[in-house]
Amino acid sequence: MLLSLALAAVLAGDPVPGLLVERRLAEAVPLGVGDTVRVRALASGRQPRPFVVAGVFERAADPNRIARNDFEVRFHLSDLEGLLPTHDRVDRFAVVLAPGARGDSAARWIETTALGTRAYSSTGLAERTSATFAVVSRFHDAIGIVTILASAIFLLCVMVIRVDERRRDMGVLRLIGVSRGTVFRAIVLEAIGIAVVGSAAGAVLGMIVARIVNAYYAHLYDTTLRFALVTPRIVILAALLGLALGALAGAFAAWRVVQVAPQKLGER
Amino acid sequence: MIVAASLRALGRRRGRTALALAGIAVSAALLLDMTMLASGLTRSFGDLLGVSGYALRVTPKGILPFDSEAGIPGGDAVGERIARVPGVKSVAPVLGAQFRVVRGDSAGPPLFTMGIRPGAQFLYRLVEGSEPGPGEVVVSEPMSRLDGIRVGSTLQLAGGAGVSLGRRDARTVRVSGVGDFLYDYAEQRSLAMPIGQVQRATGRPGEVSLFGVAAADGVDGDDLARRIAAAVPEVSTLSTRELMREMDRRLLYFRQLATILGSIAMVVTALLISTIVTIGVRERFGEIATLRAIGVARGRILLAVVTEGLVLAAAGCVAGLPLGLWMARRLDRILLSFPGIPARMTFFAWEAERVALAMGLVIAIGGLAGCIPGLAAVRSPLSQALREEAE
Repeated sequence: MLLSLALAAVLAGDPVPGLLVERRLAEAVPLGVGDTVRVRALASGRQPRPFVVAGVFERAADPNRIARNDFEVRFHLSDLEGLLPTHDRVDRFAVVLAPGARGDSAARWIETTALGTRAYSSTGLAERTSATFAVVSRFHDAIGIVTILASAIFLLCVMVIRVDERRRDMGVLRLIGVSRGTVFRAIVLEAIGIAVVGSAAGAVLGMIVARIVNAYYAHLYDTTLRFALVTPRIVILAALLGLALGALAGAFAAWRVVQVAPQKLGER
Repeated sequence: MIVAASLRALGRRRGRTALALAGIAVSAALLLDMTMLASGLTRSFGDLLGVSGYALRVTPKGILPFDSEAGIPGGDAVGERIARVPGVKSVAPVLGAQFRVVRGDSAGPPLFTMGIRPGAQFLYRLVEGSEPGPGEVVVSEPMSRLDGIRVGSTLQLAGGAGVSLGRRDARTVRVSGVGDFLYDYAEQRSLAMPIGQVQRATGRPGEVSLFGVAAADGVDGDDLARRIAAAVPEVSTLSTRELMREMDRRLLYFRQLATILGSIAMVVTALLISTIVTIGVRERFGEIATLRAIGVARGRILLAVVTEGLVLAAAGCVAGLPLGLWMARRLDRILLSFPGIPARMTFFAWEAERVALAMGLVIAIGGLAGCIPGLAAVRSPLSQALREEAE
């Protein structure tokens, strides 16, 4: 619920109810414990009521709220109800089940208590609320595929060029009796070597970029959320992908060379 | 002639050139998509806001349209004051609420329901039937199609919290029409009915969630928003530009992602072109040295090398354009599955100037990437170059 806060310097008087203020709001206003604020609900149009800041809290890092990133205040339920035009109404209940109780059965029973009531398990609720992030994840996957495609072509191009540059050397090797298989393996090994070095450099660069990205967004949104994560699984996956692409690029470049007769490899 | 010879060198190494072109095409496609993404949704949102002619929104103070349950009390009086502001052509009040269709003992999921003034509304276009009168509703096209609801059908509707608390205060309404709801996401079930009906059913007499305001011909939206704000200071008046700015703020992540990925695409393009041209120049070091030895100006040689980069980049752009548009359609389909995004919007808007800028950037990068090996070739000592070639 969005509330407007009208600040007023109120001298000590009758006891007034307390509220908690989010740390970002406390810094932005600024507010401290013991300050008095006047609050009204935009939905009600009623006169503002005074509240004492009883504490400052840090909002849990919740990606669902990051786009709007509104400030938050917390009231006792009865105090909030007094500010709103509606009474005896809640948005939702959180229910803790007794040990051994089955969530599904409890949810079905709750749904029969009142027409239109919906009960969700915490997992089900998380799935529903994370729909946005599932879409973002699919988008990132799609961009990832395009990036892999571009990297693969780039790697292939580099390998073809490197091998083309040394066609004369390859021709000489073949003419002095080095087998096609040996030339092929040497090129593939070289490609794998390049891929290993590239993957290692990429992992380091990725970690540095992730730190920069996280620092930037932490500052922008004033949040502890981490936007970029480089986990061991991601590093291993990227390295394996790099190795596979390197090996494929090397194999393709090597295949082009070993198909040509050695005496023709020296031709321009 | 020298330029032509340089370009022929690209043709001699077809496989390598084809690979480089493929790489540049993918990079150009990515850059194009990121350019389209950077402004696509905001622009598309702006177009959608103005599509019905109601380009301004008047909302409760400090609230964006439908961002909270807050309402404007005394909606009729506020609406009349807005209508009196010079330059206002029409005012359309809207009250948002949630209703459920009740069937027997069960109630369906909440349906987004809009209370509107049938003669002046901007939320849907009728595709069948007529505007709703008292006791009537217009249903969205997906609701009609998916639930088999036709004009003349009747529905049991329950609004407010009563149905959740077990009070079966459902009332029967007749479907007067089927509408194409402009701001609905794909397959959304929505309802619209006269605003008074929604106000009574939800216990919010006289309340309005927002007003849509249409400006008279030739009146600037921003100027009119300022005049309304001065005349009715207890509400927020938002012009299309302000709403787009807010949309931009919320989609900051996508704009920044587009900038980062676009920059990476440019770096990859630069690397690819400079690698290809550098190798090409090194292979023709002897030819270039000979040309210099017989008196060909350095500028002409540099021009030939730069042209090679430009041609590679331009050809990559030509291949990258259709690839980019195809990718944009695929990515758009993914992003439009975001909850609550109107189906009419697009994340990737075609803007000729921006597309031209992206492609121009790729070509400029091609030219710059050609400059580096070109300068190296024309600046190397001639005697050394000739000796190296002889060896």
